[in-house]
This record gives sequence, structure tokens and C-alpha cells, in this order.
Amino acid sequence: MNDDFNENVVPLFQKSLPLISSIVVLLLAYLPINMALFNNMRPDLGLVCIYFWVLHRPDLFNLASIVVLGLVDMVISSALPGASLLAYLTMYLLLYNTQKFFNAKPFVVIWYGFMALSLITMLIKWLVVSIYYADFLPLSVLIFTYLIGVAVYPLISIILAFVQNQFIQDEGL
Amino acid sequence: MKRRRSLFLHLNHLRLLAKKFALVILFLAALLLMIFNKNNSLVLERSTGAATGVAASVVEVLVIPAKILARGYDYLAELKSIKKDNEVLRQENKQLRLLQDKYKALEVENKLLANLLNYVPLPEVGFVSAKVVAEESDAFAHSMLAYVADENVAKGDVVVADSGVVGRVDKVADKYAKIILITDINSKIPVMVEKNRVRGILTGDNTAMPKLIFVPLDAEINTGDRIVTSGVSGVFPAGLPVGQVVSVSKNEIKVKPFVSLEQLEYVRIVKYGLDGLLKQQESDVE
Repeated sequence: MNDDFNENVVPLFQKSLPLISSIVVLLLAYLPINMALFNNMRPDLGLVCIYFWVLHRPDLFNLASIVVLGLVDMVISSALPGASLLAYLTMYLLLYNTQKFFNAKPFVVIWYGFMALSLITMLIKWLVVSIYYADFLPLSVLIFTYLIGVAVYPLISIILAFVQNQFIQDEGL
Repeated sequence: MKRRRSLFLHLNHLRLLAKKFALVILFLAALLLMIFNKNNSLVLERSTGAATGVAASVVEVLVIPAKILARGYDYLAELKSIKKDNEVLRQENKQLRLLQDKYKALEVENKLLANLLNYVPLPEVGFVSAKVVAEESDAFAHSMLAYVADENVAKGDVVVADSGVVGRVDKVADKYAKIILITDINSKIPVMVEKNRVRGILTGDNTAMPKLIFVPLDAEINTGDRIVTSGVSGVFPAGLPVGQVVSVSKNEIKVKPFVSLEQLEYVRIVKYGLDGLLKQQESDVE
């Protein structure tokens, strides 16, 4: 019984850890902090998670995980339904095509990569949502959201790297 | 045997094709979701309702350690200014007592005058106090989720805090209400300038300060003017404080909300019994 559990459930849990950790991190951006910090602007932590996991564990974080993450965000957010999913898919597409470049590169290069790809992704999302509302959304707010996202990237990646190193073992996966 | 093999090959080919175009299909699905939303799809709204409840419960659990940290920070920040705050509060208390006396006298006078005029009062107000469990504030949306338990809360109900209007209920999902803030791009409230009753629409643009539009060109609006709800459209009752004009330029008039939207722990969801245009719109959609 115990062996069965170890053989079946534990690897399954480990396989789904990138998605679970991403959902938890995504929801962190919605916590009410009751502080007047940065005009209460929140980063798009979903993009951070997608960038991290697709880069480090593409075998455990596939297209299905991105769809689930996009749907979770759609459920809790009041933003235009489908807009987050679109942004996440764009990030996946960009990363899928540039992944090789980031292999075995130092952290700073990976961080610069996030800066570039998340900027493109957010601008595409901004453009689509602006077209939808037939009104340009404030670019200043978008840039501010983007900068907060870039600033928190190292912290979130430390948390996700901890999850990867401590809880995901390659044997048996 | 041969047919079975060719069927298997066909299926395999289809599977590979679907895999190849999965990304395109998903992009199209995301765009379709937006189009569905444009048509006010009730199916989409209802199907996300239960899921919102589950996600909000998870946020409620995650909020516990964050709250402890935030309270610790607040405590340390308050320690600095506690003596000065006490002095200010004492002064404010004195003024409030005077105002309370005036208010009581005016209330009696108002009742007497209303009786003389045979005035029909507005429907009785009922409210629900709701705890804020999640906030959203970025370039794409400004909203919050509040726990309303099994209370009777409906789409379109007005949400207020101590100092003014916060927003309106957009969706009610399994014990949680999704509230659109007055700063959100989807928020449009009929308002007026308190001093001269000039009417306009307060529309959010996903910044901290919504703007006043559809104001007559010759209207006299200055910085510092108080903006209150006008009651037009029958969703918000007239006279609720909304904000103060902070900038007037040729192109736009910016309003700073009275409520600090980023520091709300509890809100009041008020039932004014004014379903107004929202009810009508909903029945049109159905």
C-alpha cells in the first residue's frame, strides 16, 4: 500500500507541482495588503511563473498547464475574459522559440530575457484589450505594472527554484 | 487488419495535426472568450461563478500570513505618529459633536417639512457588511472580491465605504461578490457637481483617478469641487459622495475618490431597492 502510494501518487504530485506552485503564486498577486504601496498596483505573477517553468522544466509545464493557469486567472480577475490566457499563450510562444538561447546562461541574462519577453507580451495584451474597449488603456499604468513584475522576478524565481530543488526529484518522473 | 492499421494511422495523423495546431486553436479560443463576453454571455458568467468561489477560498487561506506581516508593518508605522494622531482625533471629535447636534436638529426639521409636503420617501435601505478577500489593480482591471456568505446580494448593488462610493457588484458567485471599483474601465456612474448640480458621467480608466465626461462645455467646474451621485439611471441613489475634482484641463477632468480604495478591509453592499437600468438590461439579454 505504502509502496503503491510512493510509486503512483508522489510522482504525480511532483509532476503537478509546477502548476500548483504557479496557481498559488498567481493568487498571491490578489491578496489584499491594505497598504497604500505603489498605488496598489499588482504585477502579473502568472507571466513570471510561465517564464520560469517553461524555461527550467518544460517537461512538467506544458500547454495544458498554461491553459489551466489562464483559466484560474480569468475566474478571479475582472479583466476581459480570455485576455490573460492570450498573454500567457503569447509568452509561451515567444519562449518556445527563444528557449535555446537561454540554456545554461547566468541568472542576469535570464532576467533580461524576462524583461524583453514580458514587455512584448504585455504590450500585445494591452493592444488587444484596448482594441476591445475601443479606447487606449493608460500606458503609464501598464509600464508601472511591468516594472513591478520585473522587480519581483528574482524573488519569485527564488521561491520557484526552491520548489524545484526541494520537491521535484527526477527519479521516477 | 489492413483497414485497422490505416485507421490507426489516420487517427495518429489527426492527433499530430491537433498537437501541431494546438497553440493556434488555443489563441482562437482566447479570442472567442472575449467575443462571448462582448455579447454579455450569461453562460460564461454562470460557468465561472462556482470556480470563482473556489479560487477566492484559496486566496482567503493565503491571506493569513500576508495579513500578519501587513499588521506588523502597520503597527510599527503607527507607533511613530500615535501622539500626533491622538491630538488630531481629539480636535476632530469636538467638531463632530457639534456637527452631530446640527444634524439632529436638521433631521427633525426635515421630517416636519417632508410631512408638510406629503413627500414620498425612497425605499428603505438594507445593507450587508462584506469582508474584502482579494484585490485586483493593474492596467487591465480594478476590482475586488468580497465574502458575502449567503446574504441576498445581487448584480448592480451599490458598494460603499465610510467616506463614499466604492463601486458596484458585478457578479455574485457562491458566497463571494465580484465588485467593480469606480476606477475600473467598465465603471460608469452618473454623477453631478454638488455645488451647481452640473451632471456628467464618472468613468474609470484603470488609473487611480477616474475622469468626468459628458459635461456641458460651459459648465463651471473647479478643482476642489465635490462630486456626488446624481441618481440618473436609477442604479445609484442621488447624493452619495464620490470624490473631489483634482485637475481640470481642456481635455479631461480628473476626480480623486474619497475612499482609499487600496486600504479597504470591509465594505458595505447596500440595497437601495433601485434596480434601474441594470435589471432591464439583464432581462433584455435573457
